[in-house]
Amino acid sequence: MISLRGVSLTYANGVRALDSVSLEIGKGDFVFLVGHSGTGKSSLLRMLYREIAPTQGEVIVDGIRVDTLRQSRIPALRRHLGIVFQDFKLLSEKTIWENVAFAMQVTGAHTKEIIRQVPRALDLVGLAHKSRMYPGELSGGEQQRAAIARALVNNPKILLCDEPTGNLDPQNTTEIMDLLGRINLKGTTIVVATHNQAVVDRMRRRVVRMEDGRIITDEERGYYYLGLGQGQILSG
Amino acid sequence: MRNAGTTILDWGKVRFFLGEVARSFTRNKGMQATAIGTVAVTVAMLGTFLFVREILTAAGGELLNQIEISVYLQNGVSIAQVDDLRTTIAHDERVAAVDFIPKKQGLQELRSRLKGQVDASILTENPLPDKLRVRARDPQDVAAIAAWIQTLPRIATVDYGQRIVQRLLQLGAVLHRVGLAVIAVFLFVAGVIIANTIRLTVFARRREIAIMQLVGATNLYIRAPFICEGLLDGLLGASIAVLVLVAAHVALWPRLLEALPFPQLASAGVDAPLLIVQLFIAGGAIGVIASWISVGRYLRT
Repeated sequence: MISLRGVSLTYANGVRALDSVSLEIGKGDFVFLVGHSGTGKSSLLRMLYREIAPTQGEVIVDGIRVDTLRQSRIPALRRHLGIVFQDFKLLSEKTIWENVAFAMQVTGAHTKEIIRQVPRALDLVGLAHKSRMYPGELSGGEQQRAAIARALVNNPKILLCDEPTGNLDPQNTTEIMDLLGRINLKGTTIVVATHNQAVVDRMRRRVVRMEDGRIITDEERGYYYLGLGQGQILSG
Repeated sequence: MRNAGTTILDWGKVRFFLGEVARSFTRNKGMQATAIGTVAVTVAMLGTFLFVREILTAAGGELLNQIEISVYLQNGVSIAQVDDLRTTIAHDERVAAVDFIPKKQGLQELRSRLKGQVDASILTENPLPDKLRVRARDPQDVAAIAAWIQTLPRIATVDYGQRIVQRLLQLGAVLHRVGLAVIAVFLFVAGVIIANTIRLTVFARRREIAIMQLVGATNLYIRAPFICEGLLDGLLGASIAVLVLVAAHVALWPRLLEALPFPQLASAGVDAPLLIVQLFIAGGAIGVIASWISVGRYLRT
């Protein structure tokens, strides 16, 4: 589903964000990208939805060769992806319903289809009853759920989340992660970049650990800190 | 796949699109008024300029039409030979009319023209040659006709006021070029101001644009409401300009004609509907081009 081969990224100012990164993510996988701030997690995600292009290497997302993608083909790529951000990126002057519908409207979707899909997405995240409210009237957790509904409304095969719980309290964090877990069960491939230890340790999913623009470990059912899992198993 | 129905236009889509345009248009009323005002001023200047140019061109054409070729014959040409020459010249397609002016008539004309200025009675004999007066259908052909007549037999000299014709033709060309330059400058200034207005509304909506791009909106889709906004600015500005120009024309033009010492201007007509359409096209075009450019800056990633 997602494939990176020998990907390097050097910004114009000379900073090397990624250093020959190779990574395979299969259909239906749930992957955590962990590491300190500035280790290249966000750069890697941004490369997947072609906010930036790698300076070297191949990036393939859902069969699309992303690194050499023409500018005019980027919208088509992004319609296959759902993207969730730390700061939600909701439009404050539109209602929750409109925010979710917006993602379909800009793709030129038929109105009937929008009316059918938006309530489904809002239902899935448990916000159907607040669809007429504005983002400012919702809690952080609810806003993030609205953002997830927007990301899902086009039925993407892949959901990319960049620090989705960075602005949330523990209670909301748990709810959002449970929601992502349920979405993953339906077959959606999910990639979450995070430095929230509790989240990673509770979910016990594949953990790809990054440091200085490189992937240093890749564990099937990992913990946030390397070795911590083994330690717990030993002591438990 | 839900992509199946993406190209079908439905009422919901149209309403959404119009809503976006209306929202964008009313968001920044002050700036919008500035843009419309600038377009109005520019288009009004453009309209005035085009009008004046049209009038001058027409008046110049009128002057050119009055130009005639004087063909002076050699001394001692017989009546039959004159008739021959007249027929030959009149047969040419470019020639509108040929008149024969014998030297006697020429002298009379000269006397009446000089009356009061020079005492023509000092002339003891008629110094004037016989003359053919030739009019061209198209002033552009005057020089060519004159050159051709010069090659015919029994012609002494051919005169058509070369200087005047050339000057007028040159003046027309210069006016045309200067006109294009002035119009270009006007349009550029208006374009810059609309571009800035649109850039402000784009700036106010940059978050929205970023989100649209993230959820996979095409650049054309993102551009469309802004283009419509620019078009609206341009057309509204042009309508104001047209109203002002029409009012000014009705109120001022007759009085101006009386005041000006050029009777040729009165007969020079302007194709008003065509001019109005041109001004609307100009206004709309500035709006569209300016907004296209200013949105484009935000779309480059």
